[in-house]
Amino acid sequence: MPGHRTKGFCASAAALALCAMLAGCGGSGESVGGGKVVLRYTWWGNPDRAERTEQAVALFEKQHPNIQVRTSFSAYEAYKQKLAVQASGGDAPDVMQLDYRQIDQYASGGVLLDLAEQKAVLRTGEIDPGLLATGRLDDTQYAIPQGRGTETVAYDVKAWKASGVPLPGKSWTWSEWADTMRALAKKTGKPGATDPGQSEDCFEVWLRGRGKSLYTEDGGLGFTADDLTRWWTFTDKLRREGAVSPAEQTTQLDGSVENTPLGRGEAVSDANWDAPASGFLALIPTGVALAPMPSGEDGTPGQYFKPSMFLGVGAGTNHPKEAAQLVDFLINDEQAARILGASRGIPVNESIREETASQLKDFDKTIAEYQSSLEGSLKDPPQAPPSGDNALQATFQRDYDQVSYERMSPREAAENYVTEAKAELRS
Amino acid sequence: MTTTDIPAPATRKPGATTTPKRRPRRESQGPAWVFLSPWVLGAIVLTLLPMAVSLYLSFTDYDLFNPPRWVGLRNYVQMFTEDPRYWRSVVTTLTYVVIAVPLQLALALAVALALKSMKRGKGFYRSAFYAPSLLGASMSIALVWRAVFNDGGTVDNLLGTGGWVNKPGWALLAVALLTVWQFGAPMVIFLAGLQQIPAELYEAAAVDGAGKWRQFLSVTVPMLSPVLFFNLVLQTIQAFQVFTPAFAIGAGKGGPADSTLVYTLYLYDRGFVASHMGYASAMAWVLLIVIGVVTAVLFRTSRSWVFYASEGDR
Repeated sequence: MPGHRTKGFCASAAALALCAMLAGCGGSGESVGGGKVVLRYTWWGNPDRAERTEQAVALFEKQHPNIQVRTSFSAYEAYKQKLAVQASGGDAPDVMQLDYRQIDQYASGGVLLDLAEQKAVLRTGEIDPGLLATGRLDDTQYAIPQGRGTETVAYDVKAWKASGVPLPGKSWTWSEWADTMRALAKKTGKPGATDPGQSEDCFEVWLRGRGKSLYTEDGGLGFTADDLTRWWTFTDKLRREGAVSPAEQTTQLDGSVENTPLGRGEAVSDANWDAPASGFLALIPTGVALAPMPSGEDGTPGQYFKPSMFLGVGAGTNHPKEAAQLVDFLINDEQAARILGASRGIPVNESIREETASQLKDFDKTIAEYQSSLEGSLKDPPQAPPSGDNALQATFQRDYDQVSYERMSPREAAENYVTEAKAELRS
Repeated sequence: MTTTDIPAPATRKPGATTTPKRRPRRESQGPAWVFLSPWVLGAIVLTLLPMAVSLYLSFTDYDLFNPPRWVGLRNYVQMFTEDPRYWRSVVTTLTYVVIAVPLQLALALAVALALKSMKRGKGFYRSAFYAPSLLGASMSIALVWRAVFNDGGTVDNLLGTGGWVNKPGWALLAVALLTVWQFGAPMVIFLAGLQQIPAELYEAAAVDGAGKWRQFLSVTVPMLSPVLFFNLVLQTIQAFQVFTPAFAIGAGKGGPADSTLVYTLYLYDRGFVASHMGYASAMAWVLLIVIGVVTAVLFRTSRSWVFYASEGDR
């Protein structure tokens, strides 16, 4: 019959176009409107962060009347995918926010500009050298850390107090934490926390508390299937007891605070990063407080101070100087720092951090106080994760879904994950 | 896109296709190509070229950032032998096709039959039933669907079903229902087909004492079989490529527990989330071949059940 092949071809065009279109994209997305330099600046975040960023950008435009900044933002997962496609098509934004996980891939892929070229307008002298080094690859500064963050157990103060369970103190071990979650669930009838089994970040904290790490120094896997089985057995048991969120809640996590069980009013606490935790306040206006992450049974802390995000400049930008000026403004300008507060983590510029510390308001103050309470007690951060980690973060959650929906045993799922991770890190 | 070149079934007359007129001479083809050029250019630049690139990429390891590296058949080998999630996506897709296509066609035919016998307001109802098909391809309606079937959503409140989209056993059904709801296109085609069946056949059947059901089975179904076949092929091809509803209802990751991780969604995940474009391209080519084979099989079986009225004339 004529047309068989054509039919099949047309039919699959949609699926193919998805992959194949990439080859067709190209060119820089910049344009100059009315003699002005137009910069594109993209980030991920919540509405609170967006509002403050817009304010800061407006101030920048006022200070630099010849520059116009076009901004766009989305939630983390969507942002990551969009940026990867833009970058591969040579259409990376002039200024982009990057995660620790992306640095390796983007720098080695030639997407990022060597910022040393713009030293004249981009000052880094006020940033802690150790922190600054996290944006460096092969002795080239590709990105500037924009804020410092750490994980935390954010909780609904009113609900917790009403339960009669003692509030969390300065430190607790994982087993103390588990007992507390059981007690909370018993008293409130709601799970104490989000099931931490789905989170690669929580697993890392647990792992570090036992003296291990997610990745070895040469980018291999730092743990075994036995370690992961132990972790998932621990969280799976808590889930079965109702101490942490059920699978139906856990599966809805997408990186936004709105879709966490705590944000939906279905749990008392949530392990999250401290900066985005500010988003909980809009959902739980009666009060949110921060407690440290649980530590290992011998008291070894697992959490660490991490550059919460970076700013990088696209290698293909037509206006490297103006782009660097925007980065400099966001990091080193005192007024900008006051507007941005702790919405991206505590500022990295040390003199600004000290100056603004006393002026921080509301939840920004909570975050600053939380971080200073941990100062000096945490271990050094691990080096930047290998680029395969970008995909593994999602795989981790996906494999744990199989456990929490009871389709696989913790052992089976852990062995699956380790196999997938090894393949991912090899390629 | 997929509707372009399946022959219109009702008008096919074997032997009547050779036109007596000679083709115009070569020199007169120039203007034709000029007028065709936008389409030809589009086909080459937007379809053929990307397809060629995708075929090449399917034999490489390409992470979007670094230049593609030739790996031969490794992507294909890995897909078939080392990736359990790949096979789960295949099973999920087949399940979806088997649920969604027959349900959708049955509903389309039922509504078309009801509309056919309608005296007044046919135009209105035809448009009303067609409307979901216009909305359905959009992301927004899929998001609404997710909200409707979520816990605390409309369906949960009315029927107390809980959130289907968070139950691995039910989420795929929510995706299928969204497709079924968009039965407008096959319905309109069925309606056109029904109106072409000569009324005298029904009169003759009635005279012979056939009841409504008998008439349906012995007159409507055989006379409509070319249209049924046309719809079946088209909807099957589309169902294999389902993406948007699964993407939205599965919260972008084919959840819960991979239960809505259909083939194209996993393809997207490999390509854009995990940055394995080579692997994703290989998946796309396997899908193309499978759709081709399934279509060929459908055409082969059609010989035994599709009845063309013109065959009877000979």
